[in-house]
Amino acid sequence: MKNQNQNQRTKTTVVEASAAAIVSASEVFLVHSISAIGLAISFWVASSHHSITLISHPSQTLLHLWVIQCPILILLYSRYRQSPQQFSYLRAVGRGILGLIAGALVNAFGAIALGAPIGVKSLSKTINWSMMMSLFTVVPAASVFGSSWTDWQRIFGYTKPVGPIDYMICLPAHGAVLGAWFGAWPMPLDWERPWQEWPICVSYGAIAGYLVAMVASFLVVLVRGTLQHTKRD
Amino acid sequence: MRLGWKWWGHIAVYWVIMGLHIFAILLFTKGFLLTRSELPHYSQCSDVSESPCFYCSDSNVNLNQTHKHQHCWTKPAIGRLVIIVLDALRFDFVAPSTFFQESKPWMDKLQILQELASQYPSSARIFKAIADPPTTSLQRLKLVQNGKRVTMMGDDTWMQLFPHHFERSYPFPSFNVKDLHTVDNGCIDNLLPSLYQEDWDVLIAHFLGVDHAGHIFGVDSIQMLEKLEQYNVVLQKVIEVLKSRSEPGGLHENTLLLVMGDHGQTINGDHGGGSPEEVETSIFAMSFKKPPPSVPTKYNISSCELNSDKKNLCINSIQQLDFAVTISALLGIPFPFGSIGRVNLDLYALGGGTWNFNGDGETCEHQSKLGEWMWHYVSVLCINSWQVKRYIDVYSTSSVIGFSSEDLFHIADLYDQAVEKWSYTKNFFIYKNESCNTVLPSLKRQIDAYSNFLSSVADLARSKWTEFNLKIMAIGFGIMLLSIFVHILAISEVKMKNGISFSLSQDSGISFGLFFPCFVVAIRAFSFFSNSYILEEGKVACFLLVTTGVVKLRDSVMKKKMVLEVIVFLLVITICRFTIEVGLSKQTPGFDFSNIYPSWMLKSAFGLLVLSFLNEIVPILSLILLATLLYKALFVKEDFFDFKKSLVTKIVAMLSTWSSSIIILLGKQGPLVSLAAIIGGYCIMRMGSSNHDARNADNEGTGDLTIDPLSATQWSLLAVCLFFCSGHWCAFDGLRYGAAFIGFDEFILIRQAILLTIDTFGLSLIVPVYLLYGLIMATTVTATMICVTIHRRHLMVWGLFAPKFVFDVVGLLLTDFLICLASLYYLG
Repeated sequence: MKNQNQNQRTKTTVVEASAAAIVSASEVFLVHSISAIGLAISFWVASSHHSITLISHPSQTLLHLWVIQCPILILLYSRYRQSPQQFSYLRAVGRGILGLIAGALVNAFGAIALGAPIGVKSLSKTINWSMMMSLFTVVPAASVFGSSWTDWQRIFGYTKPVGPIDYMICLPAHGAVLGAWFGAWPMPLDWERPWQEWPICVSYGAIAGYLVAMVASFLVVLVRGTLQHTKRD
Repeated sequence: MRLGWKWWGHIAVYWVIMGLHIFAILLFTKGFLLTRSELPHYSQCSDVSESPCFYCSDSNVNLNQTHKHQHCWTKPAIGRLVIIVLDALRFDFVAPSTFFQESKPWMDKLQILQELASQYPSSARIFKAIADPPTTSLQRLKLVQNGKRVTMMGDDTWMQLFPHHFERSYPFPSFNVKDLHTVDNGCIDNLLPSLYQEDWDVLIAHFLGVDHAGHIFGVDSIQMLEKLEQYNVVLQKVIEVLKSRSEPGGLHENTLLLVMGDHGQTINGDHGGGSPEEVETSIFAMSFKKPPPSVPTKYNISSCELNSDKKNLCINSIQQLDFAVTISALLGIPFPFGSIGRVNLDLYALGGGTWNFNGDGETCEHQSKLGEWMWHYVSVLCINSWQVKRYIDVYSTSSVIGFSSEDLFHIADLYDQAVEKWSYTKNFFIYKNESCNTVLPSLKRQIDAYSNFLSSVADLARSKWTEFNLKIMAIGFGIMLLSIFVHILAISEVKMKNGISFSLSQDSGISFGLFFPCFVVAIRAFSFFSNSYILEEGKVACFLLVTTGVVKLRDSVMKKKMVLEVIVFLLVITICRFTIEVGLSKQTPGFDFSNIYPSWMLKSAFGLLVLSFLNEIVPILSLILLATLLYKALFVKEDFFDFKKSLVTKIVAMLSTWSSSIIILLGKQGPLVSLAAIIGGYCIMRMGSSNHDARNADNEGTGDLTIDPLSATQWSLLAVCLFFCSGHWCAFDGLRYGAAFIGFDEFILIRQAILLTIDTFGLSLIVPVYLLYGLIMATTVTATMICVTIHRRHLMVWGLFAPKFVFDVVGLLLTDFLICLASLYYLG
């Protein structure tokens, strides 16, 4: 009973909040395609300017990836911060940076608990990987929601997004985590391929999951938008 | 009376399930472990009189009568035999590089063999030997059982296989793959002196360096090249010694030297599979007979190339299957009873040579040499065919399943044809009334007939040797499925009766709470289909356990309850994971598939220091912690009526009592493992009971209780994790020293789990929890069964899948038994 009450309360606040920043499907598409292009650019920079790939130099490539992707995502999502009257744009950026570090810690802990190797050799790999994961999962939410616990709970606890922004944050984050989880499955196999090393296939899984989930979130927003339009008509 | 029936109804479920499990497993195991039956027969010298091959033995009075007492089956062609086995000798280590498309650095390193083969084509020869997969070890020669005096040196596996067969032996431990030199140096030290000894007929020296170098460094490595160069020098010395004593009347007057590999290896140093690289190995044979035996070149199948010195060099081909029987024929001992090989012409010719054949003189003079030789070969083939036929007959009558009757008929037909031909052919030599123009072609036809028979037997054996009774296995598997069905039925029955629901949150249809554990169990079950996953089972179980933990964390953060417990749980599992990895890295490298985890701790000196420090400190710390927990549990009993407090004390008390035995059994790891067990178990209980409490509070009075299938899954995963944590793994050599306590601690953990559930959930909930736990175990075992069935021809079936199966089965049966006992105690 208590839970339900809470639910209802959060829902009302959400509806108010999302009303403040209604986002169209085209905008979702734009945001997602910018982040996808960011990913592509970072891979391109890594391979053409430093001639490294994820397989040959996983740590450095991941570093490229998150360093390039970080400003793009933070600046992009800070535009959609909640109650923009209260919090300035700069503050949202700051929250994003804080979220990056905190999320990296959480992701690193999760990875180590699940079986990532520890040691001097893999330390930089784990750090860079968790930075990337943090970008995919925590940073957008941190920029948008800040310290609003109910929003965080709604997105990551109940997985009940409402509104385009919620979908934009929720689906890619979950996609990245699930992708990384499934990406770990080829690791024990005895194929002796270089990409079976930590964190290469996990990163591939995460990126793939992230991309798929971005497409999904765009489609969901699109479908919902048209449904609402037809309803209104 | 009614009460009695009800009581029986409760109990019977468990016993029925256990009965089904036992029945299913017995049947399945019977079908699975029914291997090619090892016949207890041995060939005796006298057996050969049953064969049709001695044309002299019945009506005709012949000179051969006297010879029959001198030799056994065949006339000994060689006096002594030196076998140098170089483990994992690739074909291209021996053959000249001109035989291959491109020259590789590891080719042409055994120069001495190539030189001899091109210099003395009639007495030294290189063979390409083709082994039958699985290419794991030499088809051990049964020669050692035939009264010859055998000296052995090198690989100590020989000693384990034939502990009492060697006159003299110098075994060296082959245990450590990383050790390239112990076995080899031991061999080298003993080999040369032994060559001057007279007290052996057969000398076997088994070198392991190339195999080990391949496993660790790969074929294309400096270590491998060094090994090969070292062998070249050793072989040079051996051949010099043998040559120097090979004058007439010398020690090695009639000696055959064989340098052979038992299998090849891939570029990475793996072997066991069926790829050409692994299957093709090499045999170098050299006879020290003077004058060199004349080899009939007419029927040779050999490929010749110019070697790097522009000299002609020919290479013959031999099946490894034929090796044992050829050697037996050369040594003049009875052919191994269970051999289906055929005497190889080229190798036999090399050892053969001058025969004091009795029937000469009357045959055509210009062809007499060849005719004699062929005649001799034909009579050897005759004995060979007769022996193979006898084996096939005995085998197909004594074992339940074997070859199909059509195949047997076909073989018998071929044999009859050959024998019929033989009865005609032998007349040439008995009556000696045929011209030479007809003798040779008819001999040739005779050889063809026997070869045809022998090769079709070998083909048949390769393709259709059924080692498994699939029917019985299928029935066992079906019963296992039935038991799972009964299990599910019983669960739903109990669910109906007690009004218990399994879902975590009823609002979302087939809820996540039910779906997720099923998903995890399914993944775990499917992971057994891959050998790498079985190898890393501990890590996989940890991965899944942490995943369930993370899901729980999400849940508890949502409810703002038990967050601490979940985090502690995750930490404990993380520590477990490291322990498992250390355990894996310690895993004996005896198996070629053992994947040594590249743990940083073992690589850096600093890490080693930390590790040893941790090794000292952690057990003491955890022992102290355990003691305090026990103290608390036993002496702080004021608030016994508070449910939560009493839960804690009960759990700790229970686990502590058990853990004392674990500590004793496991030694240093004991405290750590038991502490992990206590904390992990406690956390799972708390996490499970949080839902339980919440539901209870919500639906007070309705009696609608919820149990969490996730908890049961977590229990089973935790048991697996701790099993690996305590330094075990599912291989027969993974057993710890106390054989009496095989996996004892694992079962203690299961018992703990069972007793705990009883204690905490109370009577009303035992039934479904038991059933759930049993169901999870049964599902796992079923998956293992399927995987064993699928992989029954896999190379690692005996190294990996079968042990896994045995461990799982024993675990399941023990769980069943304990559940039954517990149900008797609590329901009775």
